[in-house]
Amino acid sequence: MLRLNPSSENRAHLLLTFVLFTLSISLYAPLQLWVLLLVTCAAVMRFSLYMNWQKHQLSVRTLNLMAVLCAIVLAYFGWELGLLLGMLNLLVMASSLKLMLLATRRDYFQLIGVQFFLLGAALVFNQNIAFSLFYAVLCLLLLMSLAFHINPSASWLILSKRVATLCLQALPIAILMLLVLPKLGPLWQMPTAKGAHTGLSDKVTPGDIAELARSADLAFRVTFEQDVPPANQRYWRALVMEEFDGRSWQVHPYRQRITDRFWRAGLPFTPQVSGAYYEYQVIAEPTQQRWLFALDTAVSQDQHLWQNHDYTLQSRIPLQSALAYRVTSYYDNQLPPALPQVDGRLNLQLPEGGNQRTQAWATELWRDNPTPQAYIRAIASHMRQQGFSYTLKPQPMPVDPIDTFLFEQQAGFCSHYASTVAYLLRLNGIPARLVTGYLGGEMRTDQYMSVYQYDAHAWVEWLSEDGWQRLDPTAWVAPMRIQYGLEQAVAHEQSFLADMPLSGLRGMAVFQALRGWLDDMDYLWSRWILGFDRKNQQDLLKALLGDLSPAKLALFGLGALATIAMLLALYHIKRWLLVKRDLPNWYYQKALALLAHSGIKRTKNQGPADFCAQVEKQVPPLSAQHFTALTRCYTNLCFRPLSPQQHKLQLRQMRDLLTKLRRSLRLDV
Amino acid sequence: MQPQIQQAINQIGQLIIGKQQEIRLALSCMLAGGHLLIEDLPGMGKTTLSHALAQVFGLDFSRIQFTSDLLPADMLGVNIYDTQQQQFHFHPGPIFSQVVLADEINRASPKTQSALLEAMEERQVSLDGQTHALPSPFFVIGTQNPLHQAGTYPLPESQLDRFLMRIQLGYPNWQAEKAMLQQAYNDRGESLPAMIDSTLRVSLQKQIQDVHASDAILEYILRLVTFSRESELFANALSPRASKALLLAARAWAVTDNRDYLIPEDIQAVLPAVAEHRLRSSQADGLAHASLSRKLLECVDTMAA
Repeated sequence: MLRLNPSSENRAHLLLTFVLFTLSISLYAPLQLWVLLLVTCAAVMRFSLYMNWQKHQLSVRTLNLMAVLCAIVLAYFGWELGLLLGMLNLLVMASSLKLMLLATRRDYFQLIGVQFFLLGAALVFNQNIAFSLFYAVLCLLLLMSLAFHINPSASWLILSKRVATLCLQALPIAILMLLVLPKLGPLWQMPTAKGAHTGLSDKVTPGDIAELARSADLAFRVTFEQDVPPANQRYWRALVMEEFDGRSWQVHPYRQRITDRFWRAGLPFTPQVSGAYYEYQVIAEPTQQRWLFALDTAVSQDQHLWQNHDYTLQSRIPLQSALAYRVTSYYDNQLPPALPQVDGRLNLQLPEGGNQRTQAWATELWRDNPTPQAYIRAIASHMRQQGFSYTLKPQPMPVDPIDTFLFEQQAGFCSHYASTVAYLLRLNGIPARLVTGYLGGEMRTDQYMSVYQYDAHAWVEWLSEDGWQRLDPTAWVAPMRIQYGLEQAVAHEQSFLADMPLSGLRGMAVFQALRGWLDDMDYLWSRWILGFDRKNQQDLLKALLGDLSPAKLALFGLGALATIAMLLALYHIKRWLLVKRDLPNWYYQKALALLAHSGIKRTKNQGPADFCAQVEKQVPPLSAQHFTALTRCYTNLCFRPLSPQQHKLQLRQMRDLLTKLRRSLRLDV
Repeated sequence: MQPQIQQAINQIGQLIIGKQQEIRLALSCMLAGGHLLIEDLPGMGKTTLSHALAQVFGLDFSRIQFTSDLLPADMLGVNIYDTQQQQFHFHPGPIFSQVVLADEINRASPKTQSALLEAMEERQVSLDGQTHALPSPFFVIGTQNPLHQAGTYPLPESQLDRFLMRIQLGYPNWQAEKAMLQQAYNDRGESLPAMIDSTLRVSLQKQIQDVHASDAILEYILRLVTFSRESELFANALSPRASKALLLAARAWAVTDNRDYLIPEDIQAVLPAVAEHRLRSSQADGLAHASLSRKLLECVDTMAA
């Protein structure tokens, strides 16, 4: 069956198509490729219908066949996708099929509804300020499409004005809802998308972090409540690695199992804390991983965070989108081993064989310096005397990497030093482990700093009688790294971000200023819009209302709603009064609308009596009778002097007649 | 409809067949106390209609045939010196009649025209410092020929305004003309009975004053005149006098319908007669005359927006 082209020159359909298409493109990561192809096909088909290159739509039979095929494919892939992604793919697939079918008003409104939902869903995947603006624009375009649907002949300018007015009116309500509505937790678990992992990895081979240091991407941001730690104390712990196989460090499988077991039992670790602390909020960029970043002994009250026994924090769900969390870090606190036996045992394991020279050298060194402190001092002075250097371009060390590093290359990145020192400590029975994370951070204002991927760092923790001690061997050879960051530390070899495109521009003041400004914008967006969580909400309400009680909160909400209602009422009161005063006219217009629905339209110069005569000829007797009576009432009300009682009576009659007319017209149809 | 009015219309309808609407308009005009202008080609029954109207109202009737050499004195009358009584005596002219038919009004010189129009407005005649009241009621039925305008003095707009209505009779339709031809020869000798005598006329005029015009109707009239003023279609818009005339004519029309309130249809019925001669198209070629008021009606909604 071929149908006439409903989209020819139809700007409402064009805009709808455009929104669906761009929205799907922006969701390329969570969407399957074939779904994107389907959307593209649908958009091209609709566009050619709009341009009249093609006059006929696909037949319903073809579409049904296609829908069945798509459903089968989706069902096949859907199992792997999980609920959220599966549903998203299903929704986009269904809307592109519907777009191919689009013919009736009903189709159109269904599609519009789904698009609004999809826009909301898209914000789950893309949250930064640019995407939010982009989706806001798409939302406006959808509204424009609706406006064109209702008033196809109007100009862009008029409709944009109308849409803008409506949006401005809706804005206060939206803000109020953001402020007042309770913040619900996520209703589903975010799955990992097919996008690449960014940032740290759970396995470190010395040299890896050097790769990471070539990236200028943002890792996370921190807003301090009061005090800011000095530059050389900003060790952001992320992962603790206890398994060493001679080449790479990784989180120990046994540690992982313990963590899982505690997790399942729902027994988080509560560290003993005392002393001075920093309070801050971290907004972590999405990493698709669970680990989080915090200083020293970090404690968090957030429900979606989990405290591990190695004093790291992790999120209950992978960071699919930016995550804000509050942390209190006790920087004078000792880190006693949470599970002493486990900690001790795991952190003494040594790889079998290899690195013979190192083993011999370590034994010799221990003989001269039989206490851990002296031993560490000896290693440090050895490295300083031998002229070890810090470089972003370490040579590959395929065989016996620690031997190669210690006795041949003598140049490496933080992970080389950390790895080597931890190994040396373990060789002589001192429990030691590698900690990766970030060191440093660029202060953007007095209170907030940005930490970039090139701030990634690795250091050592060794177990003394007092607990775990931080030891950063990089500091021995490159104190600049600790104090001033990577850029200063490797200034001699000009290697900082040397591979980045436009790296030459980094020196330019304008570029720096622009980057900083964009960064600040993004920070404000993340902090105040995305990071607007329950605590922010409560703080704000507390600032507004004083102490909170449910009754007060409810009152505030009601009050706000009442204010909005009042404003709207003020805005509309003139029209309402007019309707009230001109009730006969209003009823009469309703009756006219009913008749127009049955195909009888009044030309505007027809008086009521003339029109009534016309209607009598065109509708069945019962309806005609009702309309005649209604017209008589209308004429009496509008044109005759009536007493108030008569007026009321006639109005009531008119209302009844309107109902009767509606019923009888419906019967006639 | 009022039975007497219906009868009067029927009576006149026997003379001028198929023109019920125009006859009713003319009657309304006279009931409203306004002057009537009939504009048509010769032989359409202008004179017959005027004569019949006078008869139906039971009023005395005189006819003045306007020509270019007609002087005001010929129409108004003269003061003649009576040698026996040693004083001037006023000899009233043909205008001193209750119904005056001013035939081919546009043939007279402007001086004579303005004398007539002054008399129409003042309902009195001033001559040599003396005023002479015209009889009451006083109706002028002017006729003019729209074609063959050579040697005529078309009435200026300001004077056209003095006529409450202007109607056109137009050709009768097929059946009407056939019926007319079938009629027995009418020697015009017989006169129509006076269906609306002076008592009834006075009471009807009282009713006209009492017809209720609601806000909605007044606003409709205002929308109409405002549209004529704001639209670019019209070079001459409707004056406040025109809106008063419209209301008055519509009230008279409502009374002929035996109603004591106005509905939009009343306005629509009288608007072409009341407004057409007061409007002028702004386009050079212009819309055909009858369509100006129709255009106005089409463009204005009967209901408030």
